[in-house]
Amino acid sequence: MNRFRRQILAGCLGLTAATAGALWLHLSYRARPDYAFLSGWVLLAGMFVLALYNVRKKLPFLPLGKSETWLQIHIYLGFFTTFLFLFHLNFRLPRGLFEITLAGLFVLVSGSGFLGLFFSRVLPRRLATRGGEAIFEKIPAQRHALRMEAETLALGRDANSPVIAEFYVKRLAVFLAGPRNFWPHLMESCRPVGGLLAELADLRRVATEGDRERIDQLARLVRQKDGLDYQRALQLTLRLWLFVHIPLTYGLMIFTVLHIVLVYAFSGGAQ
Amino acid sequence: MSEPPPAPDFDAQNYARPNQNWICGHAGEGGQCRLGPDARGRCGAASECQPRLETKPGETKGRWHCTRPGGACESGPLPDGRCGGSLPSCAPVPTLRWLRGRMTFAVIAISCAALLIVLGHPPYRNGFINPGEISQAHSGAVFALRAATNQLPASCGSCHGAGNAGPGGLVNAAWHAEPGIFDLEKMAGATVGEPMAMDAACLKCHGGRNLHQVDAPPIACVFCHTEHAGLNMAPTTDANCNFCHGDAAKMMVSPTTPVIHHFADDHPQFRFITERRRDPDTLQFNHQLHLTGATIPRLPGGGKLDCEYCHQPDAAGAYMQPVAFEKNCRVCHSLQFDPQTPELTLPHGSGEFVSAFLRSLPNQYLQLAQKRSAPDPTGFVENKLAGLRAQFGSGEDLEQRIFFSTATFGPAANIGTLAGATRAIFPGCALCHEVKHMAGAAPEITPPVIPGRWLTRAKFNHAKHLGISCAQCHAASQSQSSADIILPPKETCAACHSPRGGVANSCAECHHYHQPQMAVK
Repeated sequence: MNRFRRQILAGCLGLTAATAGALWLHLSYRARPDYAFLSGWVLLAGMFVLALYNVRKKLPFLPLGKSETWLQIHIYLGFFTTFLFLFHLNFRLPRGLFEITLAGLFVLVSGSGFLGLFFSRVLPRRLATRGGEAIFEKIPAQRHALRMEAETLALGRDANSPVIAEFYVKRLAVFLAGPRNFWPHLMESCRPVGGLLAELADLRRVATEGDRERIDQLARLVRQKDGLDYQRALQLTLRLWLFVHIPLTYGLMIFTVLHIVLVYAFSGGAQ
Repeated sequence: MSEPPPAPDFDAQNYARPNQNWICGHAGEGGQCRLGPDARGRCGAASECQPRLETKPGETKGRWHCTRPGGACESGPLPDGRCGGSLPSCAPVPTLRWLRGRMTFAVIAISCAALLIVLGHPPYRNGFINPGEISQAHSGAVFALRAATNQLPASCGSCHGAGNAGPGGLVNAAWHAEPGIFDLEKMAGATVGEPMAMDAACLKCHGGRNLHQVDAPPIACVFCHTEHAGLNMAPTTDANCNFCHGDAAKMMVSPTTPVIHHFADDHPQFRFITERRRDPDTLQFNHQLHLTGATIPRLPGGGKLDCEYCHQPDAAGAYMQPVAFEKNCRVCHSLQFDPQTPELTLPHGSGEFVSAFLRSLPNQYLQLAQKRSAPDPTGFVENKLAGLRAQFGSGEDLEQRIFFSTATFGPAANIGTLAGATRAIFPGCALCHEVKHMAGAAPEITPPVIPGRWLTRAKFNHAKHLGISCAQCHAASQSQSSADIILPPKETCAACHSPRGGVANSCAECHHYHQPQMAVK
């Protein structure tokens, strides 16, 4: 068993034990008058530690432990606070517009976190299978280079095939102009590029010997461009879930602070 | 751990850091400039370098030199010192990191703005933060009127002190709540059901805690009454009742009441059974005879006398109307005392009336004669009085017979509107009533006292039990004495009202908590 598997096993065992303990506490003390307050404070503490991970990432120069350790804590604590959230709600649905908004924010933040965890576990393996090692920020430049090369092949001074030129203008120019086939790449579908390569293969049958070589080179460029699109789609997905997770975390914090004020202001202990 | 090898085309000199907010607009074409955009996203590519002026000794003008990194350009600086190789400007492109930052800022701004708008306008705010529908009792026009009577606002503020406060007031109320925001120790040590500050708001309208037991411990109103749970407040649960009744220590204050958890399990038998109580009423009535006796005639419609004939539900259907002589008894017991004269019957309701009626018998017969248009009224009266004397003796004897006789025999004859064999002669008031001799006055008949309800601590609804026959609960056909309390034992109720029976069996199904006199101001 390698270190990674040992970490997962230990994390899952710890998470199970903590959740079982929290469930026992919930069942034992849920009838207490201020249980909702106490469970709420524990939940808030968990959310606070979760949010600290972002602070840790912004302060890499401080000796606050390894980011890898923080990430592990963030993941397992994320699962645990989701259970705490259910205990805090006492397994009932939220009531009223404010509670529904607050609970909805929590669900979106947690859900996007779980989705991000899933992506970060699945997509990196897939990234290693196609498209080489493309740096996300360099992909536009690489795509531009491929486009220039293809344009030279199809429309350059040495090109003298109107068939290839027409095919390039009608089909390849659009394909090479920008990122394409985001969803098919995410779904691991090769059908779009397969169709384009099939059209190139058809073109090859009616082309002259000299043009066939150019068509083969164009097919190579199409495959490289498709690999770049694949890399871009997966790497973008690895970044896009944070567009939900991080901004809504701040929204959740704002609503949580208001929630605390409201529950105390309207509690039975308020004058 | 060794460093991983760089990617094949990695250019360390031209590395665009993803934590920058902006990248050169030409980066997508592979021709990004060395300077790149500034922190605000403005293109910084005005020229390739900043020419440097070098003035040799003795020179006055000096000479501009190219400072381009990587070597001077061929054209060199212009005579006025500007760079001769100006770079094409671009429209810098924001990075994903910058976009995410903007989105975060937008979420924060929208959240704060929306909350300030909503919290600043009470109508919006109350609708937004209300965790659930308020009960009918605490909303609507009737509540508004009642709140006005008690000088309370007809809004959230009538119960919540912070109900009408602005954002600052909310924070202030939260800060001064008891226990406070950071008073976790006090919060953890709170006792279940202990009174709260908000109880004072309840007591503004619900004057006093009229608890069902004077020595019951004070309990927070919200312990049993949950608001914001719909048009009807959430019903009191068994857990609320068991808070005291299921706790032996708390029940020490009431030694006569055992510890109770559930009706079907440890609820005691009804006290009228355990204490063998009898109905102390002086009225004599034999249920068995009336329900199963062979001598009981058919009713005017031909039907058999049954429970429903005498016991009719009230308007709500919950309880039974009182049995009344005129409505339920006279159809058989017509109080006819003269077998030959069915038109004359004794008045019911007072011994004095009966005595006065008997003393006025000549006049009664005379009026009857006039009513019948008898040819000789005086003779008619004399004839009737003579018949009575022959049967009963003197007037005093007749009165004694009518008041005190309990004879249950007599010749079969028609009585009133009923056809069939029954007693023709009125046996006497004492058959049903307790009649007392009174010296020098008319005998006194003890008025019957028939309680409307026996189990006054509980509620019952006959309308909900229409699916079962009366006899399933009330063993009236076996009761020969009116002293019998014909109510079912607990086991009969628990046969259905139990988890096994499947019918609701919570405490609140039968019991109220507060004293009946508790009212809303």
